[in-house]
Amino acid sequence: MRMRCCLVHSVAALGLLVGCVAQEVRVPHSVVADEDASISTSGTGKATFYLVGPGISRRSDVNLGHEINLAGEELQHAGEYFALLCSSDCQSASFFVVAAKPSSLTFLVHPSRVPVAQGDGVSGVALPFDQFQNFVLAPEFVNFQLTAKNGSLWSRSVPTKEGVAWFRTASGRSAGALQVRASLNDVSTLRAVEQVASDPCHLRITGQRNAKGILLQTEPIHDCAGNPVPDGTIVTFTASAGNGKSTVDAPIKQGVARAEIIAPGAVTISAASGVVMGNELRIGGR
Amino acid sequence: MSTSRSYSRPIPLLAILLVALAVHGPLLLMQLPSGSFDANFHIFFASHYAHHWFEPWNEKWFAGFSQTTYPPLTHQWIALFSTIVGLNMGYMLVQLIAVLLLPVGVYRFARIWVDDRAASYAALGSVFLGSLSFLVYQAGQLATVASAALYLNALPYFYEWMSEARGRSLLKGIVVSLTAAAAHHVTLIFGVVLFAGPVIWTACLDAHDERVSASVAGVLSRAVAFGLMVVAGVAAVLLPYWLALIQHPIHQIPIPHDSRANFLLNSTIAVNYFVIPYGALILAFPFILVRGVSRRFIPLLCGFWLTFIFGLGGTTPLPRWLLGRAYEILTFERFTFWATLMAMPLVGVLAAQLLDRFQAKAAVALSLAAVGSIGGALWWLGANPYRPTGQMNVEPVIAFLNRDGHDSYRYLTLGFGSELGKVSTYTSAGSVDGDYNSARLLPEMTHYGSAQLTNAKFYGTAGMASLRAMLAHANRYGLKFVFVHDPYYEPLLTFVGWRKIETFNNGQITAWSKDDVPPAHQIPSDAIPPPWQGWLWGTLPVGVSFLAIFLELLLTEERPMPVGVGFPAPAENREQHYVA
Amino acid sequence: MKIALPIVFVAVTTALMVLALSGAGPARGTVGIAGGWAMYGLTPKASTPQQALTNLLVDVQRRNWDRAFRALSKTSAVDQQGFIEDWMGSNGSLRSFSALEDFDPRPLHMTDDQADMRVYIHWSTPVGPIQDVRDIQLVREGDVWRAVWPKFQPPTVPAEVIPVTYLRWDLVTGSAEDQWGSKNVDAPHVRIISMNAVNTAEGAVVMGEVVNEDTIPAFVNVNATLVDGSGNAIDDESSFDKIDHVLLPKQVTPYRIDFPDIDLSRVKNVRMDVKAALVPASADPVIGVMDQKLDTDAQGKAVLHGDLLNESGQTVNISHVIASFYDNSGKVVWVSDGYVDRALLPQSSEPFAVEIPKSLSGEVHNFHVVVNQYSLGRS
Repeated sequence: MRMRCCLVHSVAALGLLVGCVAQEVRVPHSVVADEDASISTSGTGKATFYLVGPGISRRSDVNLGHEINLAGEELQHAGEYFALLCSSDCQSASFFVVAAKPSSLTFLVHPSRVPVAQGDGVSGVALPFDQFQNFVLAPEFVNFQLTAKNGSLWSRSVPTKEGVAWFRTASGRSAGALQVRASLNDVSTLRAVEQVASDPCHLRITGQRNAKGILLQTEPIHDCAGNPVPDGTIVTFTASAGNGKSTVDAPIKQGVARAEIIAPGAVTISAASGVVMGNELRIGGR
Repeated sequence: MSTSRSYSRPIPLLAILLVALAVHGPLLLMQLPSGSFDANFHIFFASHYAHHWFEPWNEKWFAGFSQTTYPPLTHQWIALFSTIVGLNMGYMLVQLIAVLLLPVGVYRFARIWVDDRAASYAALGSVFLGSLSFLVYQAGQLATVASAALYLNALPYFYEWMSEARGRSLLKGIVVSLTAAAAHHVTLIFGVVLFAGPVIWTACLDAHDERVSASVAGVLSRAVAFGLMVVAGVAAVLLPYWLALIQHPIHQIPIPHDSRANFLLNSTIAVNYFVIPYGALILAFPFILVRGVSRRFIPLLCGFWLTFIFGLGGTTPLPRWLLGRAYEILTFERFTFWATLMAMPLVGVLAAQLLDRFQAKAAVALSLAAVGSIGGALWWLGANPYRPTGQMNVEPVIAFLNRDGHDSYRYLTLGFGSELGKVSTYTSAGSVDGDYNSARLLPEMTHYGSAQLTNAKFYGTAGMASLRAMLAHANRYGLKFVFVHDPYYEPLLTFVGWRKIETFNNGQITAWSKDDVPPAHQIPSDAIPPPWQGWLWGTLPVGVSFLAIFLELLLTEERPMPVGVGFPAPAENREQHYVA
Repeated sequence: MKIALPIVFVAVTTALMVLALSGAGPARGTVGIAGGWAMYGLTPKASTPQQALTNLLVDVQRRNWDRAFRALSKTSAVDQQGFIEDWMGSNGSLRSFSALEDFDPRPLHMTDDQADMRVYIHWSTPVGPIQDVRDIQLVREGDVWRAVWPKFQPPTVPAEVIPVTYLRWDLVTGSAEDQWGSKNVDAPHVRIISMNAVNTAEGAVVMGEVVNEDTIPAFVNVNATLVDGSGNAIDDESSFDKIDHVLLPKQVTPYRIDFPDIDLSRVKNVRMDVKAALVPASADPVIGVMDQKLDTDAQGKAVLHGDLLNESGQTVNISHVIASFYDNSGKVVWVSDGYVDRALLPQSSEPFAVEIPKSLSGEVHNFHVVVNQYSLGRS
């Protein structure tokens, strides 16, 4: 891109240097990408026409006083174009090609996982592009829609600013996939955010002596919104007796965590998961 | 011609060369040394010269090191040959040339003391030396063999110069000595004492006993002149080496090597470093001792004894006393090789006496002894406990490193032994490890008494500490990939946070990676040689070898060696047997 | 001259050899390559308990099992297989990867016919050097001393079926052709929940704890950079093996970062950087840490010891214990670690001990132990 700009400015400078005016070149103020356009000239005789722009550089012989037609294929890239007409001397002009109507949306949603009921936990950014991958800077309205398994959470229409539309919102209260859709006219892009259970709530354990030791088990573990805490989450069981203690880091499997602790005497047992503490249990000696 | 007469003739040198070619040619054509410890190291160095002849800085080992830390001649010759026959065959060709030069050198060296016939037996015997096979096929010490062969060829010129003041001998002696130095510096340094010492002593004896026209003072003054010229020449030819050594003297923690062990306390080490290299030569020790006390042989016997003692490593304290700190840097199997070479003139005499006395029976016994020596060494290749555990196909590792931008990171091999050199030769990626201890500058390697990281476990706690230090600084060096050919290292990699990402050769080799490693960047070093050193390194060593070849071809000998002892000769009449 | 010189050479050579034999100990050699034995008659006679133990350990070092076993007292209760297993380990344990590098026998108690020796054994292992202490009884039998080896009871487990609900996370990476942003999976959220920097005799140490706050496993590495008063980095190091790198959801691990030879007084600031990545992981095996107690061992060192209990049905070959120690305000005052050299068989336990600096042992009010593990073929 930078190379292209430099080229345009270099050719413009060349045009100014040879700026003795004998003929005129008139360019359109703005052209939409992929649309035909024409450049009018004045004067008589033959001349050489140069067109330099993003992704194009062309030279052709033209007759002064006639229009120079530019095909849509030559103007597919948005940006500044430079027209230079040279006969006995040179004359130059520049014009802009703007993006065509949006045909795709690049949609970034963050994060890919979010705990339930987290304020401003989900954010998204949509960027419209035309069919030639030109960034559409003209204001457009992007519609964001969030849908969880139990229905639509919210929908909002957001205007683009300098081509960018964005939102930020809280996550839902139910674990599961959160579908986030961005739509602009007939263009639509879908992303998914996984809403996961938050920290465990009301961690409760039960224990029972068996032949080898104490068999400990949690009740089914849920977060405060009632979502089951994912399997694999570690629950730390700690059995304290006198000056010693025993610990087991047990993963939740099928909703509960189980562990066995060898402790012949009376012990006090507690459980924790991350920074959340559970109840305490006292079990007497054998 | 009668049988007894045929046993009393010297064997033509050409025939000896053909025997050497017949014995070692097929073994080298089969690329037997490619499984040796150092072959891949030499090929790796040669590969660098093949691609960057005048640029000695090599980024592929130790995150960058200078190849001026090792004399380049053999590697540059391999690089030259590699353009025609490839690196592997280039190595074999240079090794073959060294092997062929050796009997010539032994013959010429032996002629200083013995007659044509005994010298020819010595030369023939050298083809079958266990120590030669040990160095060529097990240790892969190409440079040591080549340098020793060249040095043996230089010594007769030295003797001629001292005793006859022939300018031609001076010129050829110096140029061949410089060529030997360009092949291997250690050989030259120790050769001065162990080989040249007996030659000077013998020349003095000959001058004193008026066997030669020179005076003792003349011999000594010419020896000094020769020595000064060689020192000046070696200083110039290997200037970048000396500069590198002065800039970075070897201050590493000593690396253990079994050749420094006491052979009496470990049978395996004794077999590896004594029985196999000496082979049937052990049977000749009594003769060498008894016959070596003849006045003219005493210098040779003393040289042999000193070299023999050095070859015993830690079996005696003498090497440690004499070498000081250098004792911990050197390995001692090369001394055994030199000791066998120094013994050869006397072994030639023994062969001549046995053949004179027992003829066919002696011929059979000597043949069996010779074949037994080389056969034992070749058998030991497959039986020694130091051998690699099995042939390893490193092609998948090379392919992995050369694809998908993996070569923008550095890598490490574990359990690859000398195959590290092969991986390094053919991949564009750099390693933090390497197979040449003296070139290492990274503190993670020099601060521990361990050699290659790929062999870390064999250096015990020191080796594993060095490996841990390197893995701890993986991000610093852009070390992202570790290839493991020994499950021993897997627990460490697991506990320090590396993950297995690929498996090659049905699980024989596994690739491990660390996620947060940035791409490798050049490690700043003050050891990078300036361009002028690269030019010097690329021209002088190989240039001096070309000069030696031209001198040998252009300034051919006009007459045979002037002295020698015919055997059997009664000790009291031996002077009468010197040829004019 | 004809006879004298050869005799001189032979005599000097022999004298030098004798000197080498009677001089300093054997040169350091490579480990685990050359076995072999000393020439006949050169092994010193086991005329003292110290020499007998040294001879035995040299044979163990060289894995000359027949000789070593023959050197034991006939009253030993161990068979040769048990003796070998005692030294070599089994079931892919850390001991089975280890080489006996050095030893230091010291007498404890000695009479004319019986001696108790304590030997400090230095093992070279894949995870670093490990020192072991062993008390060995020796008895005099005739004119030599022999070690009495106790019966070695290898761990056994009864045949049983242990139902396992496999729980693991696999990682599927998207193909390169996927649209930008369509399949990004965020790195796990991990957080440093405590950090403390202290000075030790070996250098500065930065330590603390990290928690995986996410619902997926995280591969964690903690790096620290020491910065001086002018803002220049003094050194940067990582937690290396003083951390449990794979953290399951809500799991907490201690970490310790060592900066050898750096004085904390030079340090103005410590820059912490915790890196987390998605990795495949398994929730098994579960290892319980039983009967943890702060105590003093036989050598007078302050240690935290206990038993590791493998609650799963698979063998854990190498266990790595990492413990964080807290003062009464809950601040992490030390993190230490240690490896267990015996394998943890299913449903069986093995003892462990990790050392605490003596100066800190009085400060320790509480502790937390995590167990990292290596299982053959599952890394």
